[in-house]
Amino acid sequence: MAKLIWLCLNFVILCSTAGAVFEDQVGKFDWRQQYVGKVIFSNFDAQSQSSKKVIVATENNVFASLNIRTGELFWRHVDAIGPEGKIDALLHHGQDALLVVGDGRLLRSWEINIGGLNWEIVLDSGSFQSACLIGQQDIVKHVAVLKKTAISLHYLSNGHQKWIENLPESETVDYQSVYSGGNGEVYVLGIVPHSHIAIVVYSLDDGEIIRQFSVEAPWLSNIQASCAVIGEGMLTCADSATVSLYMLDLESQTEMSQIPLQSLGLEVTPGFQPVLRSTQPNAARPPLSEFFLQVGPEQHLLLQLNDGQIVTLRDFNPALLVSFATTGEKTIAAVMSPKNTTACTVNLFSAETGRRLLDTTLIFPLDPNGGKPEELYVQAFLKKDDSVGYRVMVQTEDHTLTFIQQPGRVMWTREEALSDVVTMEMVDLPLTGTQAELEGEFGKKADGLFSMVLKRLSSQLILLQAWISHLWKLFYDARKPRSQVKNEVTIENLSRDEFNLQKMMVMVTASGKLFGIDSKTGTIVWRHYLDNIPANAAFKLMVQRTTAHFPHPPQCTLLIKDKDTGLATLHVFNPIFGKKSHVTPPAMPQPILQSLMLPVMDQDYAKVLLLVDDQYKVSAFPSTKNVLQQLQEIASTIFFYLVDSSQGRLSGYRLRTDLSTELIWEVVVPTEVQKIVSVKGKRPNEHVHSQGRVMGDRSVLYKYLNPNLLAVVTESTDTHPERSFMGILLIDGVTGRIIHEAVQRKAKGPVHIVHSENWVVYEYWSTKSRRNEFSVIELYEGTELYNSTVFSSLDRPHAPQVLQQSYIFPSSISTMEATLTEKGITSRHLLIGLPSGGILSLPKMFLDPRRPEIVTEQSREENLIPYAPELLIRSEWFINYNQTVTRVRGIYTAPSGLESTCLVVAYGLDIYQTRVYPSKQFDVLKDDYDYMLISSVLLALFFATMISKRLAEVKLLNRAWR
Amino acid sequence: MLHRDRIPRLWVFLQAVLVVALGFSDMALGFSDMETGPGGAGVSVQQPNGDRFKIEGRAVVPGVKTQDWVSSARIFVEGEEFVGFVRTDGSFAVNDVPSGSYVVEVITPNYRFEPVRVDITSKGKMRARLVNYIKTSEVIRQPYPLQIRANGPQTYFMKRETWGWTDFLMNPMVMMMVLPLLIIVLLPKVVNTNDPEMRKEMEQSMNMLNPNPELPDVSELMTKLFSGGSKPSSKAITSKGTRPAVKRR
Repeated sequence: MAKLIWLCLNFVILCSTAGAVFEDQVGKFDWRQQYVGKVIFSNFDAQSQSSKKVIVATENNVFASLNIRTGELFWRHVDAIGPEGKIDALLHHGQDALLVVGDGRLLRSWEINIGGLNWEIVLDSGSFQSACLIGQQDIVKHVAVLKKTAISLHYLSNGHQKWIENLPESETVDYQSVYSGGNGEVYVLGIVPHSHIAIVVYSLDDGEIIRQFSVEAPWLSNIQASCAVIGEGMLTCADSATVSLYMLDLESQTEMSQIPLQSLGLEVTPGFQPVLRSTQPNAARPPLSEFFLQVGPEQHLLLQLNDGQIVTLRDFNPALLVSFATTGEKTIAAVMSPKNTTACTVNLFSAETGRRLLDTTLIFPLDPNGGKPEELYVQAFLKKDDSVGYRVMVQTEDHTLTFIQQPGRVMWTREEALSDVVTMEMVDLPLTGTQAELEGEFGKKADGLFSMVLKRLSSQLILLQAWISHLWKLFYDARKPRSQVKNEVTIENLSRDEFNLQKMMVMVTASGKLFGIDSKTGTIVWRHYLDNIPANAAFKLMVQRTTAHFPHPPQCTLLIKDKDTGLATLHVFNPIFGKKSHVTPPAMPQPILQSLMLPVMDQDYAKVLLLVDDQYKVSAFPSTKNVLQQLQEIASTIFFYLVDSSQGRLSGYRLRTDLSTELIWEVVVPTEVQKIVSVKGKRPNEHVHSQGRVMGDRSVLYKYLNPNLLAVVTESTDTHPERSFMGILLIDGVTGRIIHEAVQRKAKGPVHIVHSENWVVYEYWSTKSRRNEFSVIELYEGTELYNSTVFSSLDRPHAPQVLQQSYIFPSSISTMEATLTEKGITSRHLLIGLPSGGILSLPKMFLDPRRPEIVTEQSREENLIPYAPELLIRSEWFINYNQTVTRVRGIYTAPSGLESTCLVVAYGLDIYQTRVYPSKQFDVLKDDYDYMLISSVLLALFFATMISKRLAEVKLLNRAWR
Repeated sequence: MLHRDRIPRLWVFLQAVLVVALGFSDMALGFSDMETGPGGAGVSVQQPNGDRFKIEGRAVVPGVKTQDWVSSARIFVEGEEFVGFVRTDGSFAVNDVPSGSYVVEVITPNYRFEPVRVDITSKGKMRARLVNYIKTSEVIRQPYPLQIRANGPQTYFMKRETWGWTDFLMNPMVMMMVLPLLIIVLLPKVVNTNDPEMRKEMEQSMNMLNPNPELPDVSELMTKLFSGGSKPSSKAITSKGTRPAVKRR
């Protein structure tokens, strides 16, 4: 019974200690931004004139609907990661959108108004080639899906299969495209490369082959890339070798006729593969006879097929991008051409005649820190006077979507590069000018008493002035209605706040675009696109100089490494303004193996970055004389480690004074049995406040705080559930001494690990019990400390005590990180990103290997929770309430100026920023602090004393009279 | 010194024994699991060219129209391994799932659904049961095709402590202050203190209330303990420190 009461009591205590969000705090210091990723298919909802939707399908397997007025999401569906969820095609018809997903595995139909699924069917296996809507007599009722070996036809209303036919000679013929002109026939176009085109015509009604023929085309290798169907079934292909167009009437099945482009008076840029672009506004009717031909990187032609003759309607030179759009019965062509270095213009042309439409110029501003335009999506609509109006959505190389209205008003931009954040750092904001002035006062050398007094007075005056202007601004803003007061965030008005809660988030994305985001509001302050980033680059972001060293500007360094070649480049920039620094980074001709940041600073307060190349030579950046001298002095104390997971080797090196290295230790993990999955050290900016834990009997259990400790996770190469295992090694990075080794049988990854203070927490999948399990390892020196003043890896004779405990976790996890505070006094929480999008704040006290199975007096005194095998997920512990972060990939924690507060950024497909208080807000007054109550009590007490004093006086007087 | 060195070793040894014992019990559990599982469904082996199956069901949020929540809902099978979407009528199907045992969850940001474990045999027989991570072999059948009903909206927020007069008055500290005050004020009026007999009686009762002078004071005990603990060289203290550790094992 007593145990039960104790459990209840504990529960109450725990509920109160664990961080949670109050309802009135929603949106107060947290924000979320939702992204979709790089758009591959996009369609404007054209069913009504007032529609304000654009549906997009992206590289990240996301299918979403955006509001074209604001750019916000109406809804979004995120499919599985990887090839299973890859979107192959998007077809749009009325209220429904059809998606072919997972290399032709699934066909889904979505209702685009509410974003619900209409139906989903599984298609027969076979790799997907093409899909198209099939109409007959002006009604579109079917969709055809072409696979490598078969073609199937499905009803749009319920997805049921109307017929499926195997393609003839599919072993030799590569069927690539399907087309229908709305006459009850379905054309399947296939090719035998460098030989002939094979065409099979099916009947729409029963799938019978009506015709089947082949046409010689030895020059053709890919139909989808170089051919298009134009007009009434005229297959047109462009060939760069003979510089001519080939045309084939699909109905009369004659030979291909060759039309040299020269006969049309056209030239093709040498080496350029001409591209054809046609349009079929309605699937039940044949495509238009007008089409675009791109003959050079910046030259497009609008051509028309007229009675078998090709007529040039207009030559666009230069033109970056072209696009067709249809509204009602009108089809227009939009052409984007460069205007000057800062802007492009978009003009509309009538597709039928090639005439330019009046008053349709639109200016697209080019971002100097962005990429080039890549794709143009046009929404055309009829105005009241029956003229055509339009809006465009431009996609640039850096995955930015910009939506523009005439004459050049940018309605919104979406930085879709942020859907793929790779790494980030939080940098303190600089002081304001006045604050810096004040700080400077202390830095300067004293000139004498009088001048110092003067200086002090003047700086106080400046402060007074700033305060008065601040008051004035407050007063001025208060008079205006609230809606008009806009707090625009710009670089100028960004400055550090009292508690350093507002910081600059520097985010690096996979596309190579860097962002500076204000952590308080989520506003993007600066952006910088690095072009020529290799496709599989690895990034490492380091802060070399913080904002603390005024007047030296802060400095960040981004190491960009090509994973294939190992060659690396450095990008040095100012994290507050995003500008490239004038400091020239060193050229690195050798592949880079390892980079490490030393706490050593040069004379300009920039921390030294060491780069180890594949010859095991070390170079320093910055490499001034001062730095080299310092390095020589401390070279014998600089150790680093290298991991070669392909050979399972972990090796430790020491720096020599001539900046060469020597191998000190080596640990080899046999690669036949297991492979190294991850190596985790501790975070360099982590502070541990208490050296030990006070136990129930008042003795102290000292923590084993080895800053050089590495946690190495290995996984077995055998993935059979009965034989798979994972191992964890704790290795001292200086000496190579193995502190602890553990093997978890019948376990497999992915292993998530957090290494901090004297503990390691990891999570794995138990194949035997089919559940996720957490395990915690804590290291203690024992009840006596060997050397309490300084820790040295070389002089620690006693191995630490190792305690370990494991727990069941009722969900899989995506990522994990620990909270971090300024001084490390606040208790720690684990922040766990779940696949459902929640971010769970789990108190570390639940993961404590000293949790007793049997409660004793002493464990009670230590506040240890009795052991329970299952860790609970309480919905109050979600720090992001219903603001889920889809596909969370990383959580970044940073300390703030307040000890109680830790800043948290979770990134994945979405970005979420908030603050957490692991031990509640013990150093500031709470949000709900009742000022009214305390002041009313004070006042009441004051009056009570006054009255009682008066009463006492009267009483005394009365007594004296008696 | 020697004494203390031996203890960690003993510790490790004991831990090893514990681990072995635990391992055995786990093994036993695992075997029983295999026996009760339906024809090999207990093992989630992914056969390379095996058949793929479909998990079907329906999710219901009582009192909420389906179109208000389906656009933000997803079906997760074993985390994010297989993903399905909810149709406009609340039904769902997850395709292409190989035989095995999976936890199926309905994921919505605003409503709470209980997960269900679905076992699929290699022949495609389906069975749904309650998720129990501790006794993984326990079978409490659930209907299949799945019927998953939301048990209310998610409660993400803590309630603010509100301040009311009744809370203030019922606070034990306030009660402790108010009651003696009442006694002090009211008692003299009720009881005639000038009566010598009464006074004697009161003195006696006061003596009863007084704590036993021989009982040690708690605070004193504390100070003794702390001053004793701070002496590092005392041998008695070290033995005191290790003794509970032994007991803990």
